[in-house]
Amino acid sequence: MSHAVLLTPATVMIALFMLAPIALAAYLSFTDWDGLSPNPQSVGWDNYAQLLRDSDVGHAAVVTLIVTVVGTLTCNIAGLGLALLLNGPGRLNGVLRAVVFYPYVIGPIIIGFLWSAILGANGAIAHVLGNAGHSPLPFLSDPTWAVGSIVAVVVWSQFGVNVVLYLAGLQTVPPALHEAARVDGAGRWQTFRSVTWPMLAPSVTVNLVLVLVGLLRVYEIVLALTNGGPAGRTNTFAFLILSESFRTNHLGYGAAQAITLMVVIAALALGLTALRRRAEDAVSA
Amino acid sequence: MFSQPTKSLKALAATCAAATALLLTACSSSGGGFQESGDTGSTTSASLRLLVNITPVLTKEFYQDLVKPYTDAHPGITVTIEAPTGSDVSATLQQQLAAGSAPDLVSGSLGRDTVPQLAALPEEQWVKDAPYAEQSRVGGVMWQAGSGNQVQSIVYYNKAAFTKAGITAPPKSLDEFTAALVKLKGAGFVPTQTAGEWVTGAQVQMMGNVNVLGPTPDWFTRRNTGGVSFADSPWRKVLDTYQSWIEQGLTPRDAMGLKYQDAMDQFAAGKSATFIMGGWYIPTAKDGVGVFAMPTVDGSPAPVAGNPSIPWSVTKSSKNRAAAVDLLKFLVTDKDAVTKELKAEGNFRKGFEYDATPLNKEVAAIVSAAPATVVASNGQGDNSAPTGFNDEFNKLVQGLYLDQKPEGVLKSIDSWYTSNAK
Repeated sequence: MSHAVLLTPATVMIALFMLAPIALAAYLSFTDWDGLSPNPQSVGWDNYAQLLRDSDVGHAAVVTLIVTVVGTLTCNIAGLGLALLLNGPGRLNGVLRAVVFYPYVIGPIIIGFLWSAILGANGAIAHVLGNAGHSPLPFLSDPTWAVGSIVAVVVWSQFGVNVVLYLAGLQTVPPALHEAARVDGAGRWQTFRSVTWPMLAPSVTVNLVLVLVGLLRVYEIVLALTNGGPAGRTNTFAFLILSESFRTNHLGYGAAQAITLMVVIAALALGLTALRRRAEDAVSA
Repeated sequence: MFSQPTKSLKALAATCAAATALLLTACSSSGGGFQESGDTGSTTSASLRLLVNITPVLTKEFYQDLVKPYTDAHPGITVTIEAPTGSDVSATLQQQLAAGSAPDLVSGSLGRDTVPQLAALPEEQWVKDAPYAEQSRVGGVMWQAGSGNQVQSIVYYNKAAFTKAGITAPPKSLDEFTAALVKLKGAGFVPTQTAGEWVTGAQVQMMGNVNVLGPTPDWFTRRNTGGVSFADSPWRKVLDTYQSWIEQGLTPRDAMGLKYQDAMDQFAAGKSATFIMGGWYIPTAKDGVGVFAMPTVDGSPAPVAGNPSIPWSVTKSSKNRAAAVDLLKFLVTDKDAVTKELKAEGNFRKGFEYDATPLNKEVAAIVSAAPATVVASNGQGDNSAPTGFNDEFNKLVQGLYLDQKPEGVLKSIDSWYTSNAK
């Protein structure tokens, strides 16, 4: 009985603010709700069937996949690389850790506008190139370049937290293991591959899952940097849900998209965690 | 041993079910978020909430000053100005309706879908005289009244650039316009300024509306029933023209990497020679800028394409509807209030004069000389496009910069329109 009493506040909060909205979204995803009419009509699985036919959804899924895969790998490689460089005492390292983490604490909307002022056709880089007699580069006006720009800005804004998490992971590696490796004649690369990397397994899992989930939901930077343009070619899945389905009052369809994204995120996060379990078990052993 | 977890799970499940049911009920019952109708209330004592469109010119302070004479004259009435908390007025109203906290008055661009949530305005002369109130009718009911006429489909031009390029008279037809842009390019200017964001589609709409709605003022009504199509209308000539501009470099290919502010800065700096935009650009324009009416396909005089400026509606769920309508009447009829609104954005209304800038007077002359007035953008009332049309149009037209062909773009617009028309 006492367990139930103690669990009640948390249970009520989770039910009200997490489960109920999800249940509501799931219900709305089977309706034609336009966000205005009081009585949405049931449409069965139509919204989900439309998802499969919608070319905009397909394109947004591809863009999201590119941003997520490239962004997750780059964030983790850059994060781990810098963490290895900054993993040591010294005032400079402390300053550099703060500098690297700084972009993460800036709001993504501000980051998007900041970089659009740098990368835009009338931006800082275009002026520098123009003054040097070169044509501006189509960072935001060409679809391929624009997707690349989004990935670059997302990585720039995110990887600071990966540095911090990897640094925390590196602090947990017992110095005795490194010492033993050195005594055995292992070089830097061998020590990293055989000692540091396996011991970082839990950190790698956390970093991969956090970045993956974050990038699957990228919205604000797209809004401020490209607004989905040119011609909707940089729409990510989350941006599409909010910019098109909601703006056109297709909230039932938008709810179906949101539920689909939630299921995909949950499946990938759980799948990735399961895949990483063997590596983590090796550390525990 | 296992009885305690089972009880906890049951409790959890029951709590979730109850919370979900509560939320669903809140959203679906007439006593919750959406209300079929509010109360008439009193005209002498009420607390009114106004959801308004905030821009660099139409600030919260502007609206507070606007209603002050009314609240001074009506001590029992208090007014709260609310800025959008969502992406715009329409999205905010949607959220507020769902939450059961809709404002009494709302000012902004609202789609036809919103009309069932708004009160019918009275069939009185002051409403009918308000700009675009008649055009706002949906199912015979007026639901929106404007303060003035916001002109669109005009072309601002750099007078020095035209002189340097040897252009002595404004172009009348789209072909003449293209020829003028070629001369301007030869003179070293960016011939016509555009940008990404919403600008591309808005400019092409400004080119198209005078050509499509001029000959067929109820074009959107006809399109809603499938009687006409984009592909088989003057839109084809407009998009062909625009594509030729892109191909000839008359509008820069990298323009999709620009924002609206960049476009205004480029034009203000004299780098670009022309800028297709609405009347709201007038207060921003610098000296040396002229304006001419949008050229037409055949060179005939273009109608004025316009929208209501600061359009007001009363929500159906307002508990103070009588007071809200009374304030709306003040906002669209009071000489000082209307003039203040017109002057802020450089808009027009017959019978309401103000100390206008020379550029404003040039636009006024275009309005006076125009053979007709047509609805701008995505139309008004029954004669309007489905919600979301402007954004979709913009997205598809930007495809011309990615080497898509006009016929493909028009086919996609028709396809979207047919799927969304009600």
